Amino acid sequence: MSRRSRAAVARSAGGDRTLTTVLGLVLVAASVLALLVGFGVFGSFRAQRPVIDPLIVEWVSTHATAARWIAIGIGVVLFLIGLWWTLRSLRPEPRPDVSLSELPGERLTVEHAAISDAVRHDAELIDGVSRARARLVGTPQKPALRLSLTLVEGTDVRDVWADLDGRVLARAREAFAVSALPTAVRLELDATSAPTPARVQ
Amino acid sequence: MRLLLRVLAPLLGLLLAVVGLAVVVETVTLWVSPASSPLIVPWPTWLTAAEGLTWQSGGVRAAAIIVGVIGLFVLILGLVARRHDVFLADPVPEVTVTTSPRSIARAVGHEVRAHDEVVSASVVASAKKVTVKAATLDPAAEVRDTVRDVVETTLARLPLARRPRVAVSVTTTKGVK
Repeated sequence: MSRRSRAAVARSAGGDRTLTTVLGLVLVAASVLALLVGFGVFGSFRAQRPVIDPLIVEWVSTHATAARWIAIGIGVVLFLIGLWWTLRSLRPEPRPDVSLSELPGERLTVEHAAISDAVRHDAELIDGVSRARARLVGTPQKPALRLSLTLVEGTDVRDVWADLDGRVLARAREAFAVSALPTAVRLELDATSAPTPARVQ
Repeated sequence: MRLLLRVLAPLLGLLLAVVGLAVVVETVTLWVSPASSPLIVPWPTWLTAAEGLTWQSGGVRAAAIIVGVIGLFVLILGLVARRHDVFLADPVPEVTVTTSPRSIARAVGHEVRAHDEVVSASVVASAKKVTVKAATLDPAAEVRDTVRDVVETTLARLPLARRPRVAVSVTTTKGVK
């Protein structure tokens, strides 16, 4: 299992998870801190101080310009992080075209749709595969293949593998003129026993 | 949970962006033309409302608890939204094969239900454990071993990267055979 084939299994949610976790930690920390202050853990005198602390109010009114710049700075940082996060998680996963040759005058790229259609068609010809989906992920220079195969009930997974590697992937590797094409295969087992599922009356 | 993360993550990002933008807009308005402040967010009202409160006030504690609960939810969402793929042994280098826990459960379920002695069965599967609950009309102890064999054979046919543990429980139900 190579790192690239493993990365092709599904779109990574790592960024979203990290940001969500950090945001959750910040909220929990703020809440715990406020409660601790309120229950007098940092001294009973501090617990009785107003939330809008006169010391801070005084500092803000004496250093009005600095306070405003700090507020604007915090606002800009929050805005940029929020915008970057939103755009990042809304962006669709890229479908790279594959460049076979970058030589001037001989540039050759294969469109994503052409490759994925060809691979999907090949995969659907395998015995026991009722439905196949294929797409490329990664960058044009380092593409990886993601294949989803739906297998008919009772199919031996090992037979499917042999066909997949011997026919489908071999052809794809040949077409790309590479010795190895990182591939992630997702199997749905026993989805249906027949093209039209039998109904019990 | 992954779907929820997929939906909530852009919304949380958008919320951060809106809060940041509001802070900038209100600060600049207060600075440039104090007469038209507040522009959108009624922050002076909030300020007067918070004026008499101390850290001990019930309102402050309630707000802290609400923020804490929301934070805990967001934190847990970020931590548990992982993938549950079941990895199969790699047929060749550079190829990774996975399947879903649901697929494993379906495959095992088909085999168990196809058995004559089993009346009904439910299967829950993960990469580490397959739990089968079956009902039968025969003595439970005998059927349990048969069901366990069926499950083990089914799993042996799948080239899983690691063999999950199998837990089988069989109950005898009343009925006519």
